[in-house]
Amino acid sequence: MLSKDKDKSAASKDSAREGAAKRQEDGAETPKQQLLDIIGTMKVEVSYKKKLQQLKASESKKQAMKKLEGLDSEGSVPQGITEDTQRGKPLNPELVKAASAVASSLPCNKKQTESELLAQLRRHEETTDKQKNGGTINIRVRSLKVGKRLNIFTKASTEPEHALKTVSSPTIWDLEFAKEVAAVTAQPPRNGFEEMIQWTKEGILWEFPIDNEVGMEDDAEFHEHIFLEKHLEGFPREGPIRHFMELVICGLSKNPYLSVKQKVEHIEWFQKYFEEKKELLQEI
Amino acid sequence: VLPSPCPRQVRSYYVDWRMLRDVKRRKMAYEHADERLRINAIRKNSILPKELQEVADKEIAALPRDSCPVRIRNRCVLTSRPRGVKRRWRVSRIVFRHFADHAQMSGVQRAM
Repeated sequence: MLSKDKDKSAASKDSAREGAAKRQEDGAETPKQQLLDIIGTMKVEVSYKKKLQQLKASESKKQAMKKLEGLDSEGSVPQGITEDTQRGKPLNPELVKAASAVASSLPCNKKQTESELLAQLRRHEETTDKQKNGGTINIRVRSLKVGKRLNIFTKASTEPEHALKTVSSPTIWDLEFAKEVAAVTAQPPRNGFEEMIQWTKEGILWEFPIDNEVGMEDDAEFHEHIFLEKHLEGFPREGPIRHFMELVICGLSKNPYLSVKQKVEHIEWFQKYFEEKKELLQEI
Repeated sequence: VLPSPCPRQVRSYYVDWRMLRDVKRRKMAYEHADERLRINAIRKNSILPKELQEVADKEIAALPRDSCPVRIRNRCVLTSRPRGVKRRWRVSRIVFRHFADHAQMSGVQRAM
């Protein structure tokens, strides 16, 4: 690029133009050189910049303006470069326009500056194309959701969901298959020990040492078994029914074979029965 | 799949219809046991008024006949013989002798 610039600068015809051109070119070269240097370093950042591109597609015109200002001032070169690279491929006509505008804004050597800028842009576009074709190597992945989706990858995330679904809801066919497999692979017991193991699994043989409370899981405390008067709230306070129910409760409190739930159901049955017979009782 | 070697007879039916009917009675008696107990508790006490007890009598009579445990007969489990059944082994005397002589009754031996 440097040689090209020199050639172009050498090709200038007017001396005054040359001088002016040199001045401008010197002034313009430094940003261009800086451009080139930064383009060389920018290859890594291209992918990230592409995302920003897509995001800021609407702001491209503003960026073009900024670029013009940047090149005019010659101080805000890095900004100009970043904006330049942000535009990239899809904004070529705008860039061309911007380049032409820049060239026109710079006094004299309009064609030279234009051609140089376009050459730079073409080079940059080549690099960006190479980057694109080579695949998106997101070295600086700051945040996945910055910018629009590029639609490069297909949705691979649906697979683990399907796997989870099938695991969580085993179908009847899966169960049947599992049972079949178990039935086929189950060998007849080779000796008495294996036979006893099989019986224990089926429930024919008890587990040793014998646990008298197998199947009975009563988590209630003793006071819930004995003090059952609180369940007698639905009954009248005096009378033969109350007398009868107190006897029932006395009997239940001494019963070690029923669970608390069963006792409560017992009392509730009586309550229902006596409520149904209320009319009869009032006649008496 | 090869048939598994089974040393005992495999019985897939009840021995006879009487045994089946006995099985049905047992099931029904189990279902209605609680109700019967409670209604009998009302009937068989001297505290509640007699009118209530008469009503309870009618109620218990209205329950299905097979729900009372009195109709259950302890038949032999293997031959369905209604008589001569030893309660501990649930088999009739003939079957008991057969198994005891073949030493298939645990802890049973001839009188010494």
